[in-house]
Amino acid sequence: MSIRVTTNALATNVLRDLESLQGKLSATQEKLSSGKRITKPSDDPYGTGLALGLRGELSATGQYASNVQDAIAWTNTTDTALSGMNDLLKRARDLVVRGATGTLDQSSRNAIAEEIDQIVAGVRQQANATYNGRYVLAGTAEQSVPYPPGSDAYGGDAQPVVRQIGPSTSVTINQNAGDLLGAGSTSNDGLALDTLEKISQHLRSGTAADIDTLGNADLANLDGVLDKLGIMRAQVGAVSNRLSLAQDRLQQAQTTATANLTSVEDADMTQVLIDYSTQSNAYQAALKAGANLIQPSLMDFLS
Amino acid sequence: MTSTFFGLETALRSLRANQEALDTTGHNIANASTPGYSRQQAVLTATLPLTLPAGGHDGVPLSLGSGVEVSSVQRIRDQFLDLQYRAQNTLHGYSSQMATSLGEAQTAMAEPSDDGLAARMQTFWNAWSDLSNDPTSTAARQALIDAGTDLAEGISTLDGRLQTVADQAADQYTSLMDADGPVKADADELAELNDAIADATQRGDAANDLMDRRDQLIDQLSGYAYVKVVPSTTRAGAVTVYFGDTSATPTALVDGDVRGAAAVVTWPPTLSADPQGELGALKDLSSTTSGPIADLRTQLNAIAKSLVDAVNDAYTAGGTVTGSFFSATAGSEAATIAVDPSVTVASLHTGTGAAGSNDIALAVSALRDQSGGADDLYAAFASHVGSYVQNAQRDETLSQSLTDSIDANRQSVSGVSLDEEMTNLIKFQRAYQASARMLTTLDSVLDQLINRTGVVGL
Repeated sequence: MSIRVTTNALATNVLRDLESLQGKLSATQEKLSSGKRITKPSDDPYGTGLALGLRGELSATGQYASNVQDAIAWTNTTDTALSGMNDLLKRARDLVVRGATGTLDQSSRNAIAEEIDQIVAGVRQQANATYNGRYVLAGTAEQSVPYPPGSDAYGGDAQPVVRQIGPSTSVTINQNAGDLLGAGSTSNDGLALDTLEKISQHLRSGTAADIDTLGNADLANLDGVLDKLGIMRAQVGAVSNRLSLAQDRLQQAQTTATANLTSVEDADMTQVLIDYSTQSNAYQAALKAGANLIQPSLMDFLS
Repeated sequence: MTSTFFGLETALRSLRANQEALDTTGHNIANASTPGYSRQQAVLTATLPLTLPAGGHDGVPLSLGSGVEVSSVQRIRDQFLDLQYRAQNTLHGYSSQMATSLGEAQTAMAEPSDDGLAARMQTFWNAWSDLSNDPTSTAARQALIDAGTDLAEGISTLDGRLQTVADQAADQYTSLMDADGPVKADADELAELNDAIADATQRGDAANDLMDRRDQLIDQLSGYAYVKVVPSTTRAGAVTVYFGDTSATPTALVDGDVRGAAAVVTWPPTLSADPQGELGALKDLSSTTSGPIADLRTQLNAIAKSLVDAVNDAYTAGGTVTGSFFSATAGSEAATIAVDPSVTVASLHTGTGAAGSNDIALAVSALRDQSGGADDLYAAFASHVGSYVQNAQRDETLSQSLTDSIDANRQSVSGVSLDEEMTNLIKFQRAYQASARMLTTLDSVLDQLINRTGVVGL
């Protein structure tokens, strides 16, 4: 038995098809105007989970990059301070070598001692270097002055300053001024302050024994301090290298994550445009067919 | 021998029958667009023949046709298609409500976007990371507390929105099942129609249009919940309607065996645990223990709990420092999560050492990479919501197209085709015209017999 097609059924079918096509067109239009394949989780539940993960990765990568930026600025400040100290200590070494010469008169030695005192002040000033109001050579006690005026005691702590530069990857970026400068001449620790202050005392006293000490023990101590400083600067340089590598890697990761997110979340415009024109054609055809179908009836042919 | 006027009677019967058929056609045309209307057909039957025991010239009995009559006006309807339609319509009622409500839940989540909960979590982790870079900065501390508050509010707002979807479902259920609601109104009208149809049936009338209305009401009820229709065994024409009761021995909503609306309708009706249809969906949605919304809220709660526990554990460095960053009531973490009131710009701690130490801040911000942490759980949650909505929408589309196709079948049987009615119109009109001509012919025959026969030479 053939199906009996009634006038109403015909009209209902045309209407239903038009509605369904319109629904598809509207979904395609949403993709076109938003440029997104996934505008709500039901568009692709698995893709949504993936997209959220990638968005998280992208955000984390951005944060790591900003952490690295901060760490680089910190190490640069540290490096500048240490390099300043290096220049000062080198100058001090020259002065010591000159002061240890027996032919020099006492007034010249006193002048050298004056300059050594200025170098001590300079070294202390470099130790108190700050980045954004924070003492970079004070460990985690970044708010305490490492060497406040009138005190030879180190004001910071020995704790590491750590920055996170990747998932489960962190790097210690600081050096402690205390390790290099020590606690002054009273401590006899052989570090920078102790050595320089003693040099200054020996220059001023001018006794044969002191001048001898200048040329031997003091010079040896100063070389030791310079070696220590060299190691510190090498460490800072290594950290700095690691950071700039991390920066490159993070930039790459950011590009990859963005590309991944785009492929998951964004609409394939070519595909969507083709879909749109196909659906739009189908819709127009349905409209035309509907208009032609419903119009005629037997009544048009009866007189 | 037949009566002289036998032919006139035959022609009259034909005129009447064709006029009734024309009237039925007119009724069909008038109701071509009436929802729920089934086309009617005047059933034409040849009347009993006049048997002449020795009518023939050879003394053989003769059956002489006596014309036509309309034996009944029949409603063209397939009861089996009605059953199919109602079963499918019940499924459609369920899936349509599910798709709508779950769609609202999905909209409330607003993922994937730059303002959703996932983005707020990222902002929160970033704020901890920023703080680890500059532990003593007041600005970084304030930004962190703000990000924490924002995240906590985002979670509790989402939980509240899910709760609203459940509440709205409960309200809709109550209003549907209200004594002034649509179900009760349909039931009352069904009872009245039952009485009218039973009365008509008793008179031998078909009450086609009342039956159409009754079928339409039952169709409507089938969207709300499961329905079962059983013809009454004691009252011809009446039906007993069971509503939302899938048990083996259901209680009737409208009892077809009894007369009188008040006694017949059982209100409120007995509903099964799963009444199916729209009511079934509303029941599932508003449930606090099972169903999709309850399931999603449980998941969201687990996310909130995981977040609170992990952050607080890292914030106290595994219990070595006192304090907590988030506070929440155990068991309803999603609804009650907030930044602990004790956390201020001054009291916030970032590490176990000096003011500048950042081990705690680092530990908290590292939670973003924790496998199975809050971020992972939330991504799974978003996927889950998406699957729920996708399934509900797929079910809705499927049940819609099945309902439509069964309805199309039904229309194919019961719908009015104007072309067909126009054809019938011409058919019956011609038959009527021919019968009238028959009458004229007989009249002129009788005229010959009565007025002209035996008159000679006048």
